[in-house]
Amino acid sequence: MEEVDKILIHALKQVGTVVSEETDSVKLFSSELIVEAVVRCIRVIDPGLGSALPTSLPPGMSARFRVGMSLAQACQDIGYKGEIGYQTFLYSNEPEIRSLLMFLVEKLPRERAEVSDQPTGKSVVLQRAIAAVIKAQLAVPWLPSNCRLPLLDETQCPGALHSFHVQSLSLPHCSKGPGKKQLKEVMDYQRYILPPVTAQFSRHTSVLASILEQHIAELSAAQEWDNEWNSQGLLSRLTPQDYHCRKLTRMHKRIKEQLHSATLTSPESPLSGLCSTSDLSELLQAFRCSDPSDHVLTKGTHFTHTQKFTFTQVAAMTSSIPTGHQSENDIQLCQQEELTLLQQQFHQLCSDVNQLAADIKHLSVPYTQVLDELKQNELGNSEKEEKIQVKKKTIDLLPDANSNLLKLQALVEASAKRIVNLASQWEKHRAPLIDELRRLKEICSNQDLESSRKLSEIKTLHDRIRVSTEEAKKKEEIYKQLVTDLENLPQDLSRSAYTQRILEIVSNIKKQKEEIKKILSDTKELQKEINNLTGKLDRTFAVTDELVFKDAKKDESVRKSYKYLAALHENCNQLIQTIEDTGTILREIRDLEEQIETENGNKTVANLERIMDDYKAIRQENSALAAKVRDC
Amino acid sequence: MAATETQFMLSVGLIEKDVNGDTLWVWCYPSVGSDLRQVLLRKCCLTQDGRDFHTFVFGQFCRTWYYITTVEVQEPTALNKEFVQSDENGSFLIKDYDVRKAYLAGSVKDVVSQFGMETIILYTALMLKKRIVVHHPRIEALLEFTRVLPTLTWHRKDWSILHPYVHLMDIELEDLKKCPGYVAGFVDPEVSNRSDLFDVYVNLPDSVITVSQSAKEAMAMGKLHKEVGHLIVQSAEDADRSDSQVIKDISIKTKEILTNLVALANECEDSKITLEVLKQHHFPPATENFLFHLAAAEQLLRI
Repeated sequence: MEEVDKILIHALKQVGTVVSEETDSVKLFSSELIVEAVVRCIRVIDPGLGSALPTSLPPGMSARFRVGMSLAQACQDIGYKGEIGYQTFLYSNEPEIRSLLMFLVEKLPRERAEVSDQPTGKSVVLQRAIAAVIKAQLAVPWLPSNCRLPLLDETQCPGALHSFHVQSLSLPHCSKGPGKKQLKEVMDYQRYILPPVTAQFSRHTSVLASILEQHIAELSAAQEWDNEWNSQGLLSRLTPQDYHCRKLTRMHKRIKEQLHSATLTSPESPLSGLCSTSDLSELLQAFRCSDPSDHVLTKGTHFTHTQKFTFTQVAAMTSSIPTGHQSENDIQLCQQEELTLLQQQFHQLCSDVNQLAADIKHLSVPYTQVLDELKQNELGNSEKEEKIQVKKKTIDLLPDANSNLLKLQALVEASAKRIVNLASQWEKHRAPLIDELRRLKEICSNQDLESSRKLSEIKTLHDRIRVSTEEAKKKEEIYKQLVTDLENLPQDLSRSAYTQRILEIVSNIKKQKEEIKKILSDTKELQKEINNLTGKLDRTFAVTDELVFKDAKKDESVRKSYKYLAALHENCNQLIQTIEDTGTILREIRDLEEQIETENGNKTVANLERIMDDYKAIRQENSALAAKVRDC
Repeated sequence: MAATETQFMLSVGLIEKDVNGDTLWVWCYPSVGSDLRQVLLRKCCLTQDGRDFHTFVFGQFCRTWYYITTVEVQEPTALNKEFVQSDENGSFLIKDYDVRKAYLAGSVKDVVSQFGMETIILYTALMLKKRIVVHHPRIEALLEFTRVLPTLTWHRKDWSILHPYVHLMDIELEDLKKCPGYVAGFVDPEVSNRSDLFDVYVNLPDSVITVSQSAKEAMAMGKLHKEVGHLIVQSAEDADRSDSQVIKDISIKTKEILTNLVALANECEDSKITLEVLKQHHFPPATENFLFHLAAAEQLLRI
């Protein structure tokens, strides 16, 4: 109980109740303290209700009575379900007060609801602190300069505003990589002479702006490089330095090409003469006005190149342009001439092309015929050649026809026999080779199975490793965060003591539960036994009764024994009954003793005395008031 | 080719599918070239995971005809002996098989009933020695269909244009391209994308005939074609006429056209036609075009 009281007192102190150090348990609360605590709690829980209630009891008895009633009403409005009335506050007893205070303390709104478990770490804590400070500053209302406290002047006067002025920083760059060694002088300069960043500026106010700008520029450059490297650089399979070099050469080439083409476009116009005197701005204009797409950058086909050349020739032929200014009409005439010439050429080319196409079409059909003829002729030729070969051989053999015939037959038979012989030999060789093939294939497939199985195992292992590392990381983070949270917690309550106690209580409860279970099962057993025995008894008695009664009609001694039996049964029953009654009465005694104890806890006697005193005081007040009324 | 000319059987071979899925040449007599061996391995359905089992397949490669029959065998050793015995006992007489009967084995009526008037496209293509590609996922249907097509040009009796079972492999396509005009059957549906291989594409399961762009001009059809088409359809629809009679009707019409053409050619010197001569007769343009190309196919054009 002490821990509960300590927690309650702590919570009440937080709400604003003044509790002295000696009162460390609810038993020692006085009525005034109870009223103050309850009112303050209600004020926090529900400001509307609580503002109407006073924090201290007024001296007059009826007033105290009224205050008690309103407090009880307020508590019931909040939701307290237990029995409550003015007596709870004026004539308090410990259990009621404890439960009421616990209910109110639980109802207190939790202030710490926003502290969620965001990830981790000191930087987050720092950020949260910064956010809190800014929030606080923003929460302060703006006041005109006359009304401001000097504290607010810092944040609210216009002198605190500065324009975003950026100056270039000079940062020492640490060169990574073994290739480039910095000169000793540079390093000395950087180490001894170069002032720190905050001191590099003429205006103190541009420090922040410049640092921000420098940082963002570097960050965006790094991000751009990352993006480019991840998309194109890795594809190109070069080292970063090679990639850089290649990019540089490419850019050089592009710039050269663009300049070339820009200078080339000008001679095509009849104003070629102007090209030499055109100034840089016009050149750049032409440069910019040409197709913004890659049109300028494409090399162009051979055809367009030749076209360009012919056109320049044409331009050279037709333009008899002196250097210097031209009149509008002359320019137009030249253009017209060129246009007609070009059109003529175009028509000529078109007709040529058409002619060629028609010719091709016309010739394709006879071409197919010729091919066909050719193929047939070739086939015929080859057939004839074969025939000639055979006939030639026959003619060679003809002079000695018969013997040659016999020889040929023998030859043919011999080769046939040899082939059959070889085939059978091959069959003999083939069987073991096939077996070998089958065996090796089986081994191969087994190995494949093995390797695929092992691969899948490796994969699952990898997955498990990955999952475990992630879990470990997460747990590390949670641990760090919990440690920082622990450090941030207020140290006035010893949580470990509470947690110990809670755990002890839990284990005690568990043990008790076990014991209760055991007792229950024992009781059940006993009850079963009792039932069994009672049943047996009844049955035995019934049987005996019958037996004896049957004989009792005839025999005198049996009748006597029957009477004794009945008496025995009766007395035993009474005995059992008495035992049961004793047990019941003992239980009742126990219950009554408990009740006496609890009633003793309520300071009933003291309260009664106070009630009597108050009753007398009220009667006195009533009579005083009545006397006043009579006098008026 | 005279009907009595016999073709000789060049060789016999045996291919076996092994227990662990390998298809291997076991045996051949007297010999089979290595190219042909590869091709035959591909053609015999044993290489295709044993899904389809075709009992009889034939085709042409490098002007050699091959015939593959596939048999399922319980006891591996028995087959060898059986085969050898049949060779000795049953003389496989080629003369027993009349060439003409073999040529007529397919049914023209089926073709006409499947395609109707569009059969004229096939007729035109065959007359003009164009390249026809037929596709069907089942090899039996393919073989049955393609062997009929050369009967439409009976006057040529040229079955060397028939390649009923071709795969899309380089070596076979090379061989195919050596012929200016052919009828090729493919099981692979990819062939529809190979427009370099055909002038006319026949999708047999969907009964769709497509003429490729490059050949559309040469295959332009007019009144003459309509006439011939009607004749074919009528003749095939007539229930009383048999397949051979239908083929005879078609060949009579063809002969008519050809005699006309030859007559035209004879009017010119050295009996060769030129386009100008045709133009003089003022045929309708489609007919003129057709006759021009036909003359080229029949070697009647002057170069």
